[in-house]
This record gives sequence, C-alpha cells and structure tokens, in this order.
Amino acid sequence: MTPEDSQIIIRDLSFNIEGKALLHNTSLSLSGDGITVLLGANGAGKTIFLKLLAGLLTPLSGTITSNKKTLEMKTRSFVSQEPVILRRTVLKNMLFVLPRITHEEGTLAKGLLKMMGLNEKEHQNALTLSAGEKQRLCLARAIITNPEILLLDEPTANIEPNSTTLIEKYLIQKVRSFRKIFFVTHDINQARRLADEIVFIDTGRVIEHSSSENFFKNPKTKEARKYISGKIN
Amino acid sequence: MNDISEAFVSSLGLILFLDTELLEIILLSFKITFYAVLISSVLGIPLGAFLASTKFKFRNTIVSILFGMMGLPPVVVGLFVYLVFSRSGSLGWMGLLYSPTVMIVAQVILILPIICCLTFQIIESLHARYDEFFRSYRITKFKSVIAYIVDSRFELTTVILAGIGRSISEVGAIIIVGGNIDHITRVMTTAIALETSKGNLDLALGLGMILLATAVLLNGFILFLRGKYLKVPGGTI
Repeated sequence: MTPEDSQIIIRDLSFNIEGKALLHNTSLSLSGDGITVLLGANGAGKTIFLKLLAGLLTPLSGTITSNKKTLEMKTRSFVSQEPVILRRTVLKNMLFVLPRITHEEGTLAKGLLKMMGLNEKEHQNALTLSAGEKQRLCLARAIITNPEILLLDEPTANIEPNSTTLIEKYLIQKVRSFRKIFFVTHDINQARRLADEIVFIDTGRVIEHSSSENFFKNPKTKEARKYISGKIN
Repeated sequence: MNDISEAFVSSLGLILFLDTELLEIILLSFKITFYAVLISSVLGIPLGAFLASTKFKFRNTIVSILFGMMGLPPVVVGLFVYLVFSRSGSLGWMGLLYSPTVMIVAQVILILPIICCLTFQIIESLHARYDEFFRSYRITKFKSVIAYIVDSRFELTTVILAGIGRSISEVGAIIIVGGNIDHITRVMTTAIALETSKGNLDLALGLGMILLATAVLLNGFILFLRGKYLKVPGGTI
C-alpha cells in the first residue's frame, strides 16, 4: 500500500444551508493516521466540516475517500461537544452502541471504562456523572465500536482539567497508534499538545493545512497568525 | 339533617360496608379503564415514538389529525361507535352493542390520540437530543424507538396516568354504546348520572367519592413521579 492509499482524500466538498455556503469547494489530502486538529474562529465551519467527515451531513457536492473507497459510516465514530447520555447505567450506555453483546464485548467495555477511570461507576445512572465523566464515557463508547476514524468535536470544552488531561493522555497513548483522529478545539495549547497536522478553516474555507510544527512556527496566512496570537477566537 | 348530608352519611355506609352493587360498578369501571388504557398504550406509545422520530411524506398530516382527535367530543364518538356496532352497522354482526367490549372500543378511540400525542411531544424533544448520536452509531429504527420509550419511561408513566384519568371519568360515549345496563354495562360515571336523575343520591355520592378519590390519587401519583424522577437538583434524571 502506498502512502497515498492510506490518505483521506477530500474532493470539491461543499455544504450549503438555505442557499448560504458554509463550506466552499474544499479539496484536501489528509494523513490517514495520527491526529488532525481542526482550528478556526467561532463559526468558521469546523463542526460542519467534522460532521461531513462523520457522514452526519450530506454535502452539496464532493467526495470523501479513504483507501480509494468512499468512507463507510461504520468506520467512523463521532463524539459531540454536548455528551449524549442515555438514561441507564454507565455500562449499559457503553453496550447500547453495539449491534450484539458478547461476553468479550462486555469485558472490553469494562476494560475501557477502567481506562477512563469509570470502572467503579459502571452500575451508576450515567446521568448522575459529572460533565467530564460523561465526556469520558462518550469517548469510551466511541472506541468500543472499533472505528477506523474517530471524530471529536470539542470534547474537552466545559469539562474539568483532570478529565481533559485523562482524555488527552488516552488519545495520545492508546488511540493515536490505531486510529485516525479528527479533533476540533479552540484551545491553541491543546492543539499544540495533540496535533500531528492542522487544518485551519476561515469562513468556510480551508486556508491552511500543514504539519503542526510548521503551522505554529510559520503560519502562512494572516488569519492563522491572528488566531495563534489570540487576536481572533 | 338535610337530604344531602343524609345521603352523604348513607353513601359512606355503602363504601365502608362494601355494598355489593357499589363494588360491582367500581370493578367494571376499573376493568374497562384497564383494558382501554392498556390497548391505547400498547398502540399509542410506539406510534407516538415512531412519529416523533421519523420523517416521511404524510407524517405532519397524520400528526395534525391525531392532535385534532385529542379533542373529539365523547358523545360524537359514542354515536359513531353505536352506528358501527348497531344491528344495521358494518360491525353489527358481532353483536357487541351494549357490552363492556364496545365500551372499551369507544374508550380506546378517545384515549389513543391523547396517549399518542403526549408521547409524541415527549419523544420529539428527546429525539432532538439523540438523533445525531443514533445516526452516528447506525442504531436501527426499531432499537431507537425502544430506546426513546425506555429513556422517557417516567414521563410516559404520567401519560398513562393521564389516560387512566380520562378513561375512568368518561361518560358521554360509554352511556351511548353501553346503555348503562344494570350488572352488565353500568360503570361509575353512568351510574352517577342515572342515580342522580332518579334522586338516589346516596349511591351517586358514594360513587362520586370513589371517582374523586381515584382522580386525586392519580394526580397525586403523577406529582410524586414528577418530584421523584423528573426533577432533581442539578438536572433531569
């Protein structure tokens, strides 16, 4: 397999709502592994882009392919900024997303909860968890389906610092080596810690795409420079 | 002591000494209500959940019709069911007119839209929260409808209780299709109407008190559920 085969290729991707273009003809070739962080000001189109990658929105035009094939929904897991928690126990929340529950998957679910520091709460009503614990549960639930691509929309916004640290540590140490991760954040420092490559979006256009190191050392556009310096957010 | 207070004392006697006629009427009332609410819930809750979580061509039309049916006049429903089940009606051959079965049919027509529409309203808001999550994990329609029902179980309990309250206090439709026949189709509401018109206030008052107690208990239970499960410090459980 050539490096190009493992890439995620986006061709002429556009998205409109009621005639208003929220993502303009975007063509990109993204690395098929590691963490790609989507950066941009509020309303730039990061979440739209992520949801298009997740298959949750239908583009007006364009294609997304991986290994020269159209991406399938079953290869992707999406975690939103607002954790969606079902009214049942933590463990049952984990198992809900599985088409069938085997003994092995039950063990895997418990293992993932342990990694997320939730093993002692597996029989607790998930709605009583803290915001950070809920988001950790959502991340563990996304992993259990064994996706090839993990799409995270500001998963650490509005949660306590220890949960943020745990999530970042988990993504870097346990997930990055097995799966492609797309991560939306507003936190420049978090982007520096996590990103292998950066996609910078401004008013519905991808205006910069480079390695994390290049982006932070030598941003090419004035919008990216302003964003990094904190002049726009 | 005036007539009303005498009747009141006499009615208390009927209740305390478990008068056979009173018990028979109460039991039939509860039986009809039980079956009517059971059938309406089994049909109405999944239908409401499906309509709230699925978009298809005539969905809005169906929902509008169901919401309109929430305000069906009971006597009109009674008349319609009467015509259908009367000897010359399309289902007259079944010979069900003036039986508890046809009273249940009339009750279902009245309660089903209420249960369906209240379920729709509850699950519509849940669907707004869950839809993206269900789609991202490719949850099947059947599994998602079950999840909506399971996750709104406490709210749906209040819907069922509202259905019970509506059913047990209904009189217009069941008096037409049931005929208020002694020992066969006489229930609390129809008996109260009849006994009051006859001036037999003690039985009417006794039944009235039971009916009132049932309504108060049901509402109390709804409030208890709301307090216990639906509103807790820090959010909804």
